[in-house]
Amino acid sequence: MQDVATIPREIESTRPSRSLVAKGRIVERLVEGLIKLVALVSIAAVLLILLFVGKEALPVLTSAIVQKEVTLGGMFASREGLFSWQPVSDIPKYNILPLLVGSVKVTLIALVFAVPLSVSAALYVSEMAGKRTRELLKPAIELLAGVPSVVIGFFALVVLSSWVQAAFGTEHRLNALVAGLGLAFAICPIVFSVSEDALRAVPGSYRTAATALGSSRSQTTLRVILPAAGPGIAAAIVLGFGRAIGETMIVVLASGNAALLDGSLDHSARTITATIAQELGEVVVGSPHYHVLFFLGALLFVSTFAVNFFGERMVHGMRAKLGGSR
Amino acid sequence: MISLRTLGVTAGFVVAAAACTRTESQPSPSASSSTTGAQPVAAKTAISIKGSDTMVILGQRWAETYMKENAGITIQVTGGGSGTGIAALINGSTDVCESSRPMKDKEKEDLKAKRSAEAVETKVALDALAVYVNAKSPMQEISIPQLAKIYLGETKNWKDIGGPNHAIILYGRENNSGTYGYFKEHVLVNKDFAAATQTLAGTSAVVNAVKGDEFGIGYGGIAYLEGIRALKVKKEDTSPAITPSLETAQDGTYPIGRFLYFYTAGQPEPTTKKFIGWVVSEGGQKVIGDVGYYPLPKGK
Amino acid sequence: MSQSFHRLLPEEAHSALVRIAALKSDGPTPVKMQAKGLTVSYSAKEAVKDVTIDVHENEVLALIGPSGCGKSTFLRVLNRMNDTIDGVTVKGSVTLDGQDIYAPNVDAVLVRRRVGMVFQRSNPFPKSIFENVAYGLRIAGIREGGLIAQRVERALRQAALWDEVKDRLTESGLSLSGGQQQRLCIARALAVEPEVLLMDEPASALDPIATAKVEDLVAELRSDLTIVIVTHNMQQAARVSQKTGFFYMGKLVEVGDTTTLFTRPKERATEDYITGRFG
Repeated sequence: MQDVATIPREIESTRPSRSLVAKGRIVERLVEGLIKLVALVSIAAVLLILLFVGKEALPVLTSAIVQKEVTLGGMFASREGLFSWQPVSDIPKYNILPLLVGSVKVTLIALVFAVPLSVSAALYVSEMAGKRTRELLKPAIELLAGVPSVVIGFFALVVLSSWVQAAFGTEHRLNALVAGLGLAFAICPIVFSVSEDALRAVPGSYRTAATALGSSRSQTTLRVILPAAGPGIAAAIVLGFGRAIGETMIVVLASGNAALLDGSLDHSARTITATIAQELGEVVVGSPHYHVLFFLGALLFVSTFAVNFFGERMVHGMRAKLGGSR
Repeated sequence: MISLRTLGVTAGFVVAAAACTRTESQPSPSASSSTTGAQPVAAKTAISIKGSDTMVILGQRWAETYMKENAGITIQVTGGGSGTGIAALINGSTDVCESSRPMKDKEKEDLKAKRSAEAVETKVALDALAVYVNAKSPMQEISIPQLAKIYLGETKNWKDIGGPNHAIILYGRENNSGTYGYFKEHVLVNKDFAAATQTLAGTSAVVNAVKGDEFGIGYGGIAYLEGIRALKVKKEDTSPAITPSLETAQDGTYPIGRFLYFYTAGQPEPTTKKFIGWVVSEGGQKVIGDVGYYPLPKGK
Repeated sequence: MSQSFHRLLPEEAHSALVRIAALKSDGPTPVKMQAKGLTVSYSAKEAVKDVTIDVHENEVLALIGPSGCGKSTFLRVLNRMNDTIDGVTVKGSVTLDGQDIYAPNVDAVLVRRRVGMVFQRSNPFPKSIFENVAYGLRIAGIREGGLIAQRVERALRQAALWDEVKDRLTESGLSLSGGQQQRLCIARALAVEPEVLLMDEPASALDPIATAKVEDLVAELRSDLTIVIVTHNMQQAARVSQKTGFFYMGKLVEVGDTTTLFTRPKERATEDYITGRFG
């Protein structure tokens, strides 16, 4: 206070007045609060969905009426040597193993095709392509992400399935391979885009260092840039996995939807998502079938969550390993 | 679209405000109208129809023709499957349900429990459930028992029923489809489909699949025969083979002919009732042939 | 250090001894690299103008001058690092053992394997310490694990880093301190046994202790190879080099014995710079 008194008047006069400062803070707080609110709403929405799905899935474990028709064990155990999903039947059968296997099978096929393709494309665009090619190619590939999955599904159903049958002579026109290829189309843009970002984020000094050591361009790209972008590419794959296992329309159209429990690529497959999409519309609310479908939804939710969680941890681990523990 | 649920809410106010006039304005026989929602005072101008994928084109054609003749009425037709339509009827989100199979007792009970209304059934058209094969297939006819064995997974090769030596590729509908239900009941005698049956969304998807698959077999409405062939069907192995047609469907000789239905929750209100009346009249029945199904037998 | 040196690669150790003997005799060593009438321009701007200079074997040549004088650009021409930048044109000639490195049939990749480089900011790869040093060997096609391990150890010893990292070779190169990282980069460059090592202000980002270590290293390495070092620190140039060149405005103003240049510069500009009148 004493110091203030010693400050000459004219300097004091240039200070913003007290009331203005307070007003500014109120506006700032309001904006801040609003942003917080919006963020909370979106989190709350996700939580509510989770709660709803969980609530509708719970009777599978708790309700006696539901358990008369289906139990948790019954969803995995074979019945008379068969693992069958026949929910609309005199004796409804709710074995979910064929659906789990179907989902995993189709997703893995999609990743096997999409990951090498999109990572190579990302490598080409970020490391080899000229500036003009890059500026043309990147948005073009990312634009593919905007193609509705029903369009991809229809393409897979009508065109791709015939090609696959002609090329491999598959017995079934619609099969896990066709659906997986369709899914690969859907996840390529996201895997590409995130990988490309990761590759571009690699510091130029690595490139310089590798070049100065006598690396050819391909050696630099494959031995330095690619490993350095490894965590980012791993994250891209995790994202692609999540997108693939949750994708519905493409598999509904292209997989044939037969609930078979086998690992064969040229047999039809029925995924969890396709099952929910096809059956939830018809099901009587509150019936065991209804609750089982929600149980499947919850299972999907939990498994994507788990994959994302462990994927994230893996990515962190990779980053730590590359960057030292400090 | 004005859904019944919204109407119900609006009607709740109407009922409260105009309880004294209600009995006069509406000669509904059901005592349940207080819970299902009374009819609005003004005449309804929109009708929603939902249900069978088999019937969705038929329903749309009816709606178009009817709307042309009756300005001011809006009819919205959506598919989704007979089961979906019935569920919508039970939930009160559609005025009319199109179904390619009769409602089950269980569903009727649900309707009663939820809407306090009896299901009112109207037969609107006739369909011959066709057995599809690829245009290249040498097969000409099939018996119902043979068909059942194929779809139960017991007969796996075409050569077992006189065809080429190749596995039979099974195509069918998803389990919310009336066609699925009808086929399961009348062909498979309620046994389960083979797990290898590929279930596709909509009859056109089945047709498309069989069109592209030389060794495929499928089933669905007779109206969808395009680029594929329908087999002649024998009721028993020894019965005569019948080609699906207007005559064989109408006189009942085709073994897997079926009626197509409209369902409403209770007696429909006047606007809907008038529409349904038109559908079964000559004007409505004339449209059916264009779509590929068969009109109801005369005098029925 | 020299013991294991002897044990591992006696013939090389021997040649090193011969070269050291040549240094002691104080006779002039042969010319290793030579630039003649060298002009480098970025788009239209000339960054290096008509520079002619000899780099002698087993000598440290220091290049000094104010920022933007063209000394770094000149350095990058010596191993064709400028090739990676768009719009650079090089006129004149640069020879390595008498061979023009800008001749049309010369592969820049092969030039860089003989003329290594260390940068101002340490830039280890996000790989383990071992793999950082082994990188150059692996891309050169060496597959034999034992040989790679020997070379890695030798390079780390040459860079005076071995004792500090020998127990943590599998840890990330980025986990080292700044000074250690720079010595790792030097080890990485040395592992491929270059004949010439170009150093672009290698100690400018380091603290005094780390700087001293790098300077010691430069002095020791001279017995094995030829070094060209760019520095803005004149004391450093005086400490580590035998010859010094002064760059100003893209031109090589003066080059000569380090002692002579710092005590009796021929040119006025040189004198002004070393006495701190500008720069």
